[in-house]
Amino acid sequence: MNRLKTNFLGMEFKNPMVTSSGCFGFGMEYKDYFDPNVLGGIVVKGITMEARDGNYGTRIAETPGGMLNCVGLENPGVDYFENVIVKNIKAAGIECPIIVNINGKVIDEYVEIAKRVEKIAEVDMIELNISCPNVKDGGMAFGANPDVAGAVTKAVRAVTTKPLIVKLSPNVTDIVHIAKVVEANGADAVSLINTLLGMAIDIKSKKPVLGNTFGGFSGPAVKPVALRMVYQVSQNVKIPVVGMGGISSTEDAIEFMMAGATMVSLGTGLFSNPILPVEIKDGLERFCEENGLENIQEIVGAAHQK
Amino acid sequence: MFLEDCKILENYQVSENYYLMKIESNKASQHSKAGQFFMLKVKNEIRILRRPISLHFVDKDKNILEFYYEVKGGGTKEFTDLEAGEIMNIQGPLGKGFKTDVLDKKCVVIGGGMGIAPTKLLINDLKKNNEVIFIAGGRDKNAIEILKNLDLEGVKTYITTDDGSAGEKGNVISALCKVLEENKIDMIQTCGPHKMMEAVAKKAQEAEVFCEISLEEKMACGVKACVGCSIKTLDGMKKVCHDGPVFDSKIIVDVNPKENLGCNCN
Repeated sequence: MNRLKTNFLGMEFKNPMVTSSGCFGFGMEYKDYFDPNVLGGIVVKGITMEARDGNYGTRIAETPGGMLNCVGLENPGVDYFENVIVKNIKAAGIECPIIVNINGKVIDEYVEIAKRVEKIAEVDMIELNISCPNVKDGGMAFGANPDVAGAVTKAVRAVTTKPLIVKLSPNVTDIVHIAKVVEANGADAVSLINTLLGMAIDIKSKKPVLGNTFGGFSGPAVKPVALRMVYQVSQNVKIPVVGMGGISSTEDAIEFMMAGATMVSLGTGLFSNPILPVEIKDGLERFCEENGLENIQEIVGAAHQK
Repeated sequence: MFLEDCKILENYQVSENYYLMKIESNKASQHSKAGQFFMLKVKNEIRILRRPISLHFVDKDKNILEFYYEVKGGGTKEFTDLEAGEIMNIQGPLGKGFKTDVLDKKCVVIGGGMGIAPTKLLINDLKKNNEVIFIAGGRDKNAIEILKNLDLEGVKTYITTDDGSAGEKGNVISALCKVLEENKIDMIQTCGPHKMMEAVAKKAQEAEVFCEISLEEKMACGVKACVGCSIKTLDGMKKVCHDGPVFDSKIIVDVNPKENLGCNCN
């Protein structure tokens, strides 16, 4: 009996564990350390219509308990993704569901890429990344403005039949409000949190460490913030939540599920521990056994105050 | 690529901020080659990223990996506290190493400062079937103290320091010019500060000699998953951890640069 089996947006996942976009490449990078099919599903690196170089200069900085990155969505573009990468993923024998993280600079571009991904049979779900890019009409991040977040969700919803997950930014005043707005505009699930905006300064050169000045902060240090947001959002929307932010152990994953996450996602934790997914899968199975659970989903939202 | 818990055999100071660590590795040691690197786990979990450290030497008969490292921050400082008998988790070998499958060639190996690290294994492998000329340089004698750990028998060696405290006062480039004037060189391989390697690559291109350089970049995963160590090259974006760290200098250094290439490191 598989006690980790999880139904998410109408699909059966072997377990509730996926990878966070941008931390697991295109699914095969860690194959020397574990079989990717150990995962419930794979969220691949964010893609854009055209290939992008990303940011120049230093992209990574470690800070206590976390790290900053300013990769800037380097990716080979949707054509290469469709014609080469997806084929390679399937040829490598990866059977678990594939979720593609899509990005655009303007709403039209999101729509355009969603239309393309809609036609790729191997892609099971879409994750709409509204957590970093800028819009043409005001320069505000998509995910920080409820109206724009709603508009882009609605526009993408109209052109895809695939399940649609919207990835939310924590760099907002009220993440619950944004979550409700994207739910009302057709999101099937929300994933949170994307990275927190941060920076580091090199006191010798008196310059920001990162080539792009600011970067996304992730790792164990952000876990309390992420957990709080998952806890709040999951109590205020009816759609499922994919929880992420600093998960580095089985206990972390359980906390996120108890906070209300149906699925959990692993990101930065993979870098220090490349076999983290195997450890968490085994840990969750043991937790079910020790606590007499038929299925791990029984703990989702357990921490919510009744 | 392996994840392996390895026993530390020795870990001692070579000079100033420079240390040498020898560890026992049954699996990774058998697949390691010159120019590759490992991601070494720092024990204190507040430092969440592994540290990329280049391979200094491997003894495949005794299953020993050697790492020559410099204390640069808290993570490498912590490495110096590790004692013989303790266990460290290693990930590797990673990346593409130096070209060593050559025969009867005249090879120049150039190591600058910490860049001397991968030259021990490189020279060891090259000199079996080739003539090797070695040029080593550093700021002062402390920076090149590690040379006593290299087997340079049969290797014509030039040593330079900026302050003249060991070898010739000067830098590796003047030594390289002399070598290129006096010899017909087939291949140049170098590791060191970016500016030094850039100068070496330009000399190599002028002399039309194949040249490899080993780059360093901040990285998080070591397996091209995080895309943190990506650099711009004449051949498009490349990951230092996977496509490198050793690159054909022609795609990194342009003798007539229109744009800054591969220059993330200082």
